[in-house]
Amino acid sequence: MYQSFIGLEIHIHLLTDTKVFCSCKAAFGSEPNTNVCPVCLGHPGVLPALNKAAFDMGALVARALNCSIPDRTWFERKQYFYPDMPKNYQISQFASPLGQQGYMDMVIRGQKKRVRIKECHLEEDAGKMIHAGTVSLIDYNRAGTALLEIVTEPDLETGAEAEAFIQQLRRLVRFLRVCDGNMEEGSLRADANVSVNLRGAGLGRKVEIKNLNSSRFVRLALDYEIERQKEVLDAGGVVKQETRLWNENRDQTESMRSKEDSHDYRFFPEPDLPVLEIDEAYRSEIQGRLMELPLDRMERFVRDYGLSLEQADYICEERALADYFEAVVQAIEALPKEEAARRVALWLAADVKRVMNRDGVGADGIGQWSFSPRRLAQIVELLGRGAISGKIAKQVLELSVSEDRDPLAIVQERGWQLIQDPELINRYVQIVCEREAGSFDEAAAAREGGNLKRFETLSAYLVGKVLAESQGRCDALLVKEHIEKKIGEAKKCAC
Amino acid sequence: MSRSVDKDGFPAYVSAWEDRIGAFLELLEPGQWPAAQTGGESSPVAGLPCGVKDNIAVEGFGLTCGSKLLKDFRATYTATAVKRLEAAGARVIGKTNMDEFGMGSSTDNSALKRTNNPWDTSRVAGGSSGGSAAAVAAGLVPFALGSDTGGSVRQPAAFCGVVGLKPTYGAVSRFGLVAYASSLESIGVLADSVSRARDVFRIIQGEDPLDETTIASRIVHGVHGGAADSTSPGSTKNAGGPEKILAVLDPVSLAEAVGSAVRGAAALENAGRGAETGPGSAGAEAQLINLLEKEVLQGYSKAIEGFKALGYRIQEIVIPSLAYSVPVYYTIATAEASANLARFDGIRYGKRPEWAENPEDLIDKTRAMGFGPEVKLRILLGTFVLRSGFQDRYYLRAQRLRKRITSEFLSLFSAKEGSKEGPSALLMPVFPTRAFGRSENGLGGPALSAFAQKAADIFTCPANLAGLPAIAFPASVEGGLPVGVQLLGAPFSEELLCSIAAEYEAEHPIPHPEGFQSFWR
Repeated sequence: MYQSFIGLEIHIHLLTDTKVFCSCKAAFGSEPNTNVCPVCLGHPGVLPALNKAAFDMGALVARALNCSIPDRTWFERKQYFYPDMPKNYQISQFASPLGQQGYMDMVIRGQKKRVRIKECHLEEDAGKMIHAGTVSLIDYNRAGTALLEIVTEPDLETGAEAEAFIQQLRRLVRFLRVCDGNMEEGSLRADANVSVNLRGAGLGRKVEIKNLNSSRFVRLALDYEIERQKEVLDAGGVVKQETRLWNENRDQTESMRSKEDSHDYRFFPEPDLPVLEIDEAYRSEIQGRLMELPLDRMERFVRDYGLSLEQADYICEERALADYFEAVVQAIEALPKEEAARRVALWLAADVKRVMNRDGVGADGIGQWSFSPRRLAQIVELLGRGAISGKIAKQVLELSVSEDRDPLAIVQERGWQLIQDPELINRYVQIVCEREAGSFDEAAAAREGGNLKRFETLSAYLVGKVLAESQGRCDALLVKEHIEKKIGEAKKCAC
Repeated sequence: MSRSVDKDGFPAYVSAWEDRIGAFLELLEPGQWPAAQTGGESSPVAGLPCGVKDNIAVEGFGLTCGSKLLKDFRATYTATAVKRLEAAGARVIGKTNMDEFGMGSSTDNSALKRTNNPWDTSRVAGGSSGGSAAAVAAGLVPFALGSDTGGSVRQPAAFCGVVGLKPTYGAVSRFGLVAYASSLESIGVLADSVSRARDVFRIIQGEDPLDETTIASRIVHGVHGGAADSTSPGSTKNAGGPEKILAVLDPVSLAEAVGSAVRGAAALENAGRGAETGPGSAGAEAQLINLLEKEVLQGYSKAIEGFKALGYRIQEIVIPSLAYSVPVYYTIATAEASANLARFDGIRYGKRPEWAENPEDLIDKTRAMGFGPEVKLRILLGTFVLRSGFQDRYYLRAQRLRKRITSEFLSLFSAKEGSKEGPSALLMPVFPTRAFGRSENGLGGPALSAFAQKAADIFTCPANLAGLPAIAFPASVEGGLPVGVQLLGAPFSEELLCSIAAEYEAEHPIPHPEGFQSFWR
């Protein structure tokens, strides 16, 4: 009977070299108050100068979210006093932000859902206040770094949907290489607005939730808050319009301030920065920088390579991994494209992933890994055309990584190509059958007696022994043929 | 190369004058003057000392803005305009007094020092660049930088009898100028001659990557549409060229304009009190009916006659929106000021209380004790006009009127290009009064109320609202005090305005106060 409405406000730290309105380094982890200058400290007399790279990144995200970039966009001053905000106003955008009226398609439970994007606006971040005992300290290194705020319409309904949206937006901005998406370090921050009302009755009274520093907390907090609001309504009460904080220790939202205490930001156009006129040349420049986005790429992988949705999803989590995948498939010549793709996907999701985890190679760093796409392609090809066994292939992977050498060279040098020469195979079969004469005779007897199950068990045992004898180099299928033939012949001799 | 003609006696001359007028908040003895930077030897300012208003940053000097809050603050960098002057060989020798944060018309709103008018030390020097104007008028420096938000260069220039140039908005970088009202103000020049003001302007103007509101140089060289670069004053004389036309306001419309400014300002002040008619407004209006001094009208008439004698045709015009300029100006200026001054919270710099309960308490105490009453008034007014739900009534309405005022002024000057019939410039008074005194009955004439001082910005603030260049210069001396007039022109017509002013100057030399000596060429 109830319907919930969730809108998100997501701040992303843009990966610019310098701050958004001065030339200070935009770096994290530096000594406090080392990346500062008169401009970002708000000294008297200084003026902001827009970092074009930040604007370009903002415009790129706006376009990736299908927002339109207006003909004229400008900055406003958002005024409120806070010790970590040097000017006591934030340069932000209000009336004509750089991205307007877009949408993002997301996949949730195998279904596509479209979430409307209200706007994307560029602004500066504040510093950080640290309370230490009886003193408060402020680090202004972060003050003036570039933030892009992405505001959705209230199109999400559940905590799970909001979580999925954030995860997929995170993937998008990482794909675009404009944000590292790290929620713990605050490079991606989310606030949520949620309201509950009787189905069909429109939006309810809005509650804002802050302090959501992981996508999991977003889900937990929203699910908690939706239930809380339903209970209030069930009891005949009215939901109070307020700002609440997520308390991760108690797993609940708690009131922070009511609407009456809310700021009047007294927005007005920033007189120190001129209005930006956007022309077609700029729009096409940004369009030219847009690449295939994660969802489109996933869909193409399913369509063109025959991957499952789960495989495509895993591979497209990181742009570098998806690039790596396609480079491997490209490099495989000996197999049909779809077969090559499926084999590569399996390798990436299993053995390669295991080695990466062990060696601390992140999916985003796979492009710089010594184990290049060509090397994985060699392994898949060797295995695919039956030149090495699956067991050998895994060993080759390990050696190729640890020795930083090509798999082909390793296989050749160690003579690990599969033995397919009938004479050689026969020699191994002969040795094993003589050593395991008891089993051999029993197998022959079982076959004679029609005990097929026993026969198969024993012949498989003998095949295993032959493979072991050849250190895995004999082609298993050929060995099986040879053993079965030999057992058949043994029976003939016995007559 | 030093351009000082006679340095003997200069230190004594400076200290004698400075004791009487108090133009500087910080002043280097001649022996401590910085060496002129090399490379600028051929520049007209090479070796010349200059003063800089104390709201413009010069590394190594204070940057008090005339405020208690910044009494001990030292600039950590140098303003672009000052860097350009230094590169041309000028030497900054001191920081000049001013109304706190540029808010005032007398320099008496300085929390740090009192500055007197060199013509009559019982009177004010004008403001807010009063220290710069007084220093130039007394011959302590040949020129000084000031800032003009609503007349703060031109009005003290008029009070002290010097030249004051307020450039086109965007012609001179504001980087390093402590912001009062960002969209209105520009760094300007106070100088002992028109040609000096022009020389300094040419050096400081130009695009600056640190100020994105600067506009690539579109300086109109030459005179009356001619292409030739003119530096000699005589070149504007009619030699078969196009007719020289000056627009003027007739005395009746001047008086009307002042009257309507008074009513407009009263309405604004009452709005701030939340009442339609506040107590005291009737009295204030009564005082202001006679705000326009007859001596100012005399000076203005003499200037008109002077230009006629120089071959100018005088065209009387009406600017209907002039009456709105004062309320529009104070709405926008205070709105911007409320944000610009928010950074003065005592947290990163500035004077602050010994003890505070928490950061909010620290901010409250710092601002309560650091800002003077005029500054507090303007911050409150600006906060009021920007309140959500009230912007349409005040701030946005003021912006719409500002557009109208701008277009009226622009059309006045653009007529010239099409028909060759329009005026080159508009000649206006600078201020309704000459330098005023400080008391009702004492020496030096009556004081002007803070309210009247605001209404009196009627002639100066339009140039700021429309972003136009304007040059103020002495028209005459009336009753022992200089009377200034100003020329307004199209954007980037500084060269033209200087040429016209220089023609007048050639016939009516800049007057000097008693005891003045010239040490500079």
